[in-house]
Amino acid sequence: MLKVENIKKSYQLHEVVKGVSLEIAQGEAFGLLGPNGAGKSTMISMICGLVPYDSGEIQVAGLSVKKQPMDVKRKIGLVPQDIALYPTMSALDNLVFWGKMYGLKGQDAKSRAVEVLKMVGLVDRGNEPIQTFSGGMKRRINIGAALMHGPELLIMDEPTVGIDPQSRNHILETVKTLNEAGMTIIYTSHYMEEVEYLCDRIAIIDHGEVIASGTTQELGAGLAGGTVLRMEVDQYTADFLKQVELLNGVEQVTAESNKQLNILLKEDKETMTEIVHLSVEHNIKIHEFKREEANLESLFLKLTGRTLRD
Amino acid sequence: MKSLLIAMKDIKIQMKDRKQLVLMLLMPIVLTAILGTALKGVLDSGEAPKTVLGLYNTDKHNVTNGFIDSVLKSKDMKTSLELKIVTSEKQLKNYLKVEKIDAGLVIPEGWGNSLVAGKPAHALIYQGTGKGVNAAFIQQLTDTYTNAVQTVSGSTTFAVTNLAIRAKQSGVSFNPEESEQQISTAAEKSIGNKDYLKDAPVGNKSVSAMQYYAAAMAAMFLLFNAINGGKSFHNERGTETLARLMVTPTTSRAILGGKFLGTWFIALLQFLVFMIVTHYVLVVDWGSNVWQTLVLALIYSFAVAGLSMVVAAFTKSERAADAIGGVGVQIFAILGGSMIPITSFPEVLRSLSKVTPNSWALTGFVDIMGGTTTWNSLILPVFVLAGIGLCAAAIGVWRLRVEY
Repeated sequence: MLKVENIKKSYQLHEVVKGVSLEIAQGEAFGLLGPNGAGKSTMISMICGLVPYDSGEIQVAGLSVKKQPMDVKRKIGLVPQDIALYPTMSALDNLVFWGKMYGLKGQDAKSRAVEVLKMVGLVDRGNEPIQTFSGGMKRRINIGAALMHGPELLIMDEPTVGIDPQSRNHILETVKTLNEAGMTIIYTSHYMEEVEYLCDRIAIIDHGEVIASGTTQELGAGLAGGTVLRMEVDQYTADFLKQVELLNGVEQVTAESNKQLNILLKEDKETMTEIVHLSVEHNIKIHEFKREEANLESLFLKLTGRTLRD
Repeated sequence: MKSLLIAMKDIKIQMKDRKQLVLMLLMPIVLTAILGTALKGVLDSGEAPKTVLGLYNTDKHNVTNGFIDSVLKSKDMKTSLELKIVTSEKQLKNYLKVEKIDAGLVIPEGWGNSLVAGKPAHALIYQGTGKGVNAAFIQQLTDTYTNAVQTVSGSTTFAVTNLAIRAKQSGVSFNPEESEQQISTAAEKSIGNKDYLKDAPVGNKSVSAMQYYAAAMAAMFLLFNAINGGKSFHNERGTETLARLMVTPTTSRAILGGKFLGTWFIALLQFLVFMIVTHYVLVVDWGSNVWQTLVLALIYSFAVAGLSMVVAAFTKSERAADAIGGVGVQIFAILGGSMIPITSFPEVLRSLSKVTPNSWALTGFVDIMGGTTTWNSLILPVFVLAGIGLCAAAIGVWRLRVEY
């Protein structure tokens, strides 16, 4: 369904995407992860034809984004990160408008809008203006607008940011259902559990490059036995940090702030004791000391040196 | 088609914005009522605007000299007419071009003779740009004098002929020259009241203060659509709906066209509502030819829509569009005569006002209201306004397409 071959993009002298290649099969749910500024949004914009790429090639359903942009756009539905709707217009009017922009006509657009409203669970609120909706309801209509023309490829850019658990669950279930019905999904999120729940395969992007990709099992295998230690201290010193890094059982130390440390351990029991000793020696007060099993989030941390929410 | 969808969507959004509706519909009506009432005494004095007339006379007949001395140079005309004698038709046209005169009058050789003989006599009247009222004033003066002379001449001939027949029948001696002189003098006295010029202020089917400010407020408030159009573009960009539009299979030309059409339709709709309400509520007479008014409004709205593209292209945010556009509208409104009538401006400002689209619209509306506009005289303002709209839209679209 989607083939990205050695795509490059620069803004002036800054290269934001450095030769990314991806292939996503029809009906697959694909997770795209990366810290802020990693190049995810630029990638999505290039796939949708919003931003031209400098070199390489992107094909959607065998169509070139560069050569057949309008045909490609008909196959894609984009759920942007922001609520891209007209707040004073009703949910129904918004959906009808976006449907018509994809070529649906009069009554067809209206019937499809009602269908989509049912799909996102807001059929009884269709005639109310978007500005009266809660954040979660707006997000559901935001997704609905991308579904109006029945796209083959649905690209969702952090569709669950800042919403209530009920709407979040509804969105996840809707996406799952769409994927099960055969729709190809590209999903980006800061919530690793969402990606793990929805996606068959994942790619991690950082500094414009794909630094890891594979199924969740394949990626998890690289971390077997690993542990993440999250420490909150009053203030650590550079010397303390250096000594922790030199410990045999420590694979990587990442400072989230001057009080927060994330330490990836190869071997945990003895190493944790050593870290506590080092804290006492350096007169550093520990406020929180939390041990977590390695997961995709720790893999992300290991690969990018940052947490997903950075 | 996609452009129309975007335009209709913009109209729908605008209609739901109560604050905007109040600003765009209620405010101009209230201001028209206030200004029209407050300045009634100042503008409705019944005097025609002072006309600077260029005269090129090639006729030496007494009747012609009489027209120049007793009408054009008369005391009564001093406040409303300033005469500039020119030596050729070419010089007269040059004066018109550089706006040294408001109107030109060419009296051809034999004009006086034709009048006395009761034959058709045509003096040529030239109209300066946007000086329809002044030209009509001169036309009316000339026609009134022509009619008066032809009436005297005709009635004298008729009376002398009749008297000669009767004298012949009754055998009474009859001196035709003497009788003609006496009848002619009597006829001149009876119709030659100089005050006829005051009683029927020629060319001065001048508009009332309420009419003037209705046209002025329409011209000014339609300009606000240029700001709103620009702001709507920034709003779409800020809320990501513009990006979403660009992800749909729609060309950037169709999207920009939609934004342009939206502003054009909204401005036109605003004018129609304003025109109807002022006509029925404030009893504003928009002139006898409503089609002329509508054509001018259509083209002026087009110019405003073009300007909205410039506002969108040369500002970076809604706030900037508001600030810069607001200042621009104020300057245009003052310069274009929406606050103080253009006729009260000094010559330099009058010339400068021609760079503003609202000045062309306002002058056009006022001329139509005064009943002095022909379809031919509408060609210039229509072309100027269409030109402004096209140029502005081209510059705006070019810059926006480079940017996105």
